[in-house]
Amino acid sequence: MEHLLHLLSQFIANTGYYMLDYRYLTMLCVGCIFIYLGIAKKYEPLLLVPIGFGILMGNIPVFQGLGLAIYEDNSVLHYLYMGVTLGIYPPLIFLGIGAMTDFSTMLARPLLMLLGAAAQMGIFLTFLGALALGFDPKEAASIGIIGGADGPTAIFLTAQLAPALIGPIAVAAYSYMALVPVIQPPIMKLLTTKKERLIRMEEPREVSKKEKILFPIVGFLLCCLLAPAALPLLGMLFFGNLLKECVVAERLAVAARNAVIDTVTILLGITVGASTQADVFLTKESVGIFALGAVAFAVATASGLIFAKIMNLFLKNKINPLLGAAGVSAVPDSARVVQHVGHEEDPTNFLLMHAMAPNVSGVIGSAIGAGVLWSFMMR
Amino acid sequence: MTGLEAIEAHNGWSIAVVGISIVFTGLVLLSATIAQLHKILALFEKKDSFQERLRQDPEREKKEEPPILLPADIRESARHFRLLATQTGDVFPLPKLLDYAVKRGLYRPHSALNELLRAKAIVPDGNGYYKWNKNVSC
Repeated sequence: MEHLLHLLSQFIANTGYYMLDYRYLTMLCVGCIFIYLGIAKKYEPLLLVPIGFGILMGNIPVFQGLGLAIYEDNSVLHYLYMGVTLGIYPPLIFLGIGAMTDFSTMLARPLLMLLGAAAQMGIFLTFLGALALGFDPKEAASIGIIGGADGPTAIFLTAQLAPALIGPIAVAAYSYMALVPVIQPPIMKLLTTKKERLIRMEEPREVSKKEKILFPIVGFLLCCLLAPAALPLLGMLFFGNLLKECVVAERLAVAARNAVIDTVTILLGITVGASTQADVFLTKESVGIFALGAVAFAVATASGLIFAKIMNLFLKNKINPLLGAAGVSAVPDSARVVQHVGHEEDPTNFLLMHAMAPNVSGVIGSAIGAGVLWSFMMR
Repeated sequence: MTGLEAIEAHNGWSIAVVGISIVFTGLVLLSATIAQLHKILALFEKKDSFQERLRQDPEREKKEEPPILLPADIRESARHFRLLATQTGDVFPLPKLLDYAVKRGLYRPHSALNELLRAKAIVPDGNGYYKWNKNVSC
């Protein structure tokens, strides 16, 4: 009987209920909020649902030594997480993004690419902010990249520079990407006048098939020769786009934009979510990262808007400064927000198509930014 | 270390300035290149269509050749030889034409024929025969 009671008490001591404390409970609540936002509010459901469930998986307290937790060697989750820590998943996601993205609006008005560059100021200003708060340069660079509003890029750079921060940085990046419709509109309204929001954009010219095919090759050569450290991300992005545009490799393009990106998104979401294990995630540093991430996003949006207003001082055909907010590379959410805010002022003004130009150039810009930071920090 | 001191100690200002400059340079370079891309393609297409037109119209070059004006002293014999050439067919062997000219009693047939060859009024057809150059006015 005594032996039976000992076994029972041992079993109870090993259950999650027994080991649960307020930190795990907090994270389980966060996971549920993510799932709620994804399903009920439809904020980036393809990201928030896997990440949310991953948070639940990562925050079931487990008996150490059984090889169950993500940070334990030989656990299945640990092996899946290697796709994140070794920087494998982000380039594969970029392959899918390339195979899905239509660059024609950008090709039609290349000038709008400058807005994508301006929005990347958020990365470098947040980098300075993180340094000022006492983070070391590699951590500061990883935090700064949240301002690029590009989850895969943030994960890629953090995996190279500050692997210990992947959890908080990835969750911050994806949370803010999902919250683009909440974060950006107040900044956009604050920094633009009603008259500016009413500006109509001229129709873009038609882009030929040859241009679309040549663009990924030219873009790859120009960008990667300038910032070779961006090769894994930009190489896959432009390769995916070439598969899409060249038509003859349609099967590969379909695989990249469906099977590959879907599989990798599931694995990335689950493992990034699971990496937010309470004892590793709930730290002062994480709070700082979340605060700086919000600043990064706001600064990136503001930089794009202000740069668009500066461009208007020199342009004969004015551009709608709202497009500057689409320079952050949350594709296509920030472009949708631009359309929404423009539509509120004038329901007959359609900005979505135009906003896609700075939006996709923001993807290129943030990848270059990540490459630049990586090369600086590795010296 | 925190604040501005930390930024300075880690070369933060330089990294930020150089970093944003590189991002701008990359996108400006790309923007400038793709702004010219359609113009370069249009230029190539124009060249291609010009060559295509040339290929479709093989007589074009011949039409554009300037007419050959024969010297006054051989115009008379050129007229006689052209008449004979029309009787021998589109292409003819030179001995046959010469034979006709001798039989018709043309003046100095060998010498006249030689002058017409040199003036390119009679030209080889590339298969061992000769033909009258239609571009010659006499």
